[in-house]
Amino acid sequence: MMKIFKSREFLVLVLLIVMILSVATVNKAVLYPFTLINIVNSSLFLMLIAIGQMFVVQTRGIDVSVGAIAGLAAVIFGFALNAGIPLPLSMLLALLTGFVGGFINGIGVAIIGIPPIIMTLGTLGAYRGFMRVLTGGSWIESIPQSIKSFAVTRYLNVPLMVWAVAILVIVVAVLLWKIKPARNFYAVGDNADGAYLLGINVTATRIAAFSLSGVFAGAAAIVFVGQIGFVPMQTGNGQELKAIAAVVLGGVSLMGGTGSIWSAVIGALFLTAVDSMMIFLKVPGSWNNAVAGAVLLAVVVFDYLIRRTVRNRQLAARAAEMRRAEQDAEPGQPMEARS
Amino acid sequence: MKSATWYKSWEFMLAVALVLELVVLGLINPAFLNIENLLFSTSDFVHVIIAAVGLTLVIMTGGIDISGVSIMGLASIVLGLAFVAGVPIGLAVVLALGVGALAGAFNGTVIAETDVNPLVITLAMLFFYAGVATGLPTLLDMMGFSVAGAGGFEAYQYEGITGLPKSFTWIGTGGIGWVPMPLIVTAVIAAVATWLMHRTRFGRFLYLIGVSMDVARFTGVPVKRTLVTVYALNGFAAAAAGLVLTAYFTNARSDLGAEALLNIITAVVLGGSSIYGGQGSVLGTFLAGLVLGYLRQGLLALGITSDVVPVIVGAVLIGTVALKIGMSNLNTRRANRAAYETERMAMTQNGG
Repeated sequence: MMKIFKSREFLVLVLLIVMILSVATVNKAVLYPFTLINIVNSSLFLMLIAIGQMFVVQTRGIDVSVGAIAGLAAVIFGFALNAGIPLPLSMLLALLTGFVGGFINGIGVAIIGIPPIIMTLGTLGAYRGFMRVLTGGSWIESIPQSIKSFAVTRYLNVPLMVWAVAILVIVVAVLLWKIKPARNFYAVGDNADGAYLLGINVTATRIAAFSLSGVFAGAAAIVFVGQIGFVPMQTGNGQELKAIAAVVLGGVSLMGGTGSIWSAVIGALFLTAVDSMMIFLKVPGSWNNAVAGAVLLAVVVFDYLIRRTVRNRQLAARAAEMRRAEQDAEPGQPMEARS
Repeated sequence: MKSATWYKSWEFMLAVALVLELVVLGLINPAFLNIENLLFSTSDFVHVIIAAVGLTLVIMTGGIDISGVSIMGLASIVLGLAFVAGVPIGLAVVLALGVGALAGAFNGTVIAETDVNPLVITLAMLFFYAGVATGLPTLLDMMGFSVAGAGGFEAYQYEGITGLPKSFTWIGTGGIGWVPMPLIVTAVIAAVATWLMHRTRFGRFLYLIGVSMDVARFTGVPVKRTLVTVYALNGFAAAAAGLVLTAYFTNARSDLGAEALLNIITAVVLGGSSIYGGQGSVLGTFLAGLVLGYLRQGLLALGITSDVVPVIVGAVLIGTVALKIGMSNLNTRRANRAAYETERMAMTQNGG
């Protein structure tokens, strides 16, 4: 139980609650259920690509192409719907697009050996360009508006889309908890050579991480199209950096091997909530990025300071223990003279 | 020593690629080879080279700074606001460059003082500087400054600040003889960076830190001071890139350069720098920037839509790195085989 309270996810969750409560002292409207549900609702896109990002960052990679993959998947989804393909099949196509995009990243990183940031930066340009080529640079409109029913229909005042993503998150969390190979992500990220010696297929794990990132970007695209009902060219633009910010904020170290799905969920909620809080404080929207950046910096630096203190304390304890052991070895010395 | 000749050959290959590219594009479209046209078309992309030169120094240490693209916009809007506030344009330029260097120095300080990955810190600062750049006009508005003209500060956010004096826009649009000013600025910055990297102790420190930060620290390299300086230089270069772009567009905007990240990193990596540090050259970055810039120009001149260009730039980036990895794998394998052969020869001689 103590472990939960000490985790970074918990720290950021507390920060989030403190932030919302302190804004509530200025403007009570923040605490209306409607507002809170809206914050969750508008965080869904970021949350999904952040979950995908989490797998990659856990394996000590980084994927800056998720926004572009989401854009590409949204275009394919839009095309499929316009072509009259039934909704479930269209969704599958969007997820498949994401999978292929992520799989290509995985091949480049895990098999050819290209550094993840270079590989995904390259495919970021490539996928985004490809998306514009496919559509000729125009928006995809006239999508059957029935798709929006998911976002508009509410069950217990909460949009169906939120329920769907919530169920997805819980299912994935349980799977990650129960399935043994899911721990390979941690092992590979923490120590790839060690994982290899343990018999873990490092290459396959890395490819799987990038593929999952792509699949979640595809899922995010479905949510996006469902929420707004058309596909603008900017779909997913700049969201890749936000996704990385979200998982790092939630406690996934870029050095790999840490973090959980809750990191991504809470990080995404936090970054979205920051934007909403600015509105309730009547701060011009142009400051959103500055606040998000400052929060991210503050959290990672604060986290570093905590880690340093803990480490120093451990070192001090070990030094004291060694001194004591030395003392025991020389029984002739008086105890008082030491300390 | 072998690596020294390899560097040379990489830059030589880039120079050959540049000439080949110009010849091929010229053959397809002879109008492309007009020398004045060739020189002045660099103004469209030299800001990428300037920022990439600064980033080359940072990447040399094994770090990275992706916040440069935001510093470009920040410097631009600082210059514009200072100008509107009545600051002489020369002072405004100094102020904007100073803000850029300070922003970089801040990145460097946080990176040197903590063990947090530079990518995370500069990602946070990318958001922060971009937010400050877009927010500055509204901040001044809230502080009660008033401004002449319709729309007030809000308009600056969307339309940028125009009406900058000729003496400043000349940096972006003017030229000496056939050589445009932006190219001259770029060449000067690249020359200074080359000197810093290859002719000074500071440059050796960058290399040592890139090879191994721990070893550098134990051998007495002032790691923290060097890191703060190099990130400050990168901020300065990014601000300079932003100002050149501002002068070229004759418009100070907070979102200038926001799209340049892919191109900047591609130029650095194509220029032969390793993102793991300890390898790279400013000349390589400069040449790679020209190759990429002309590639874009040439593709557009051939009637290929600008949508396809990022696909090709991305492919070039991935292809270059894949090629380099392949080449080094081949070299390792060859070296291993040679070592094995000599070993076996020695064994048979001993045995017989």
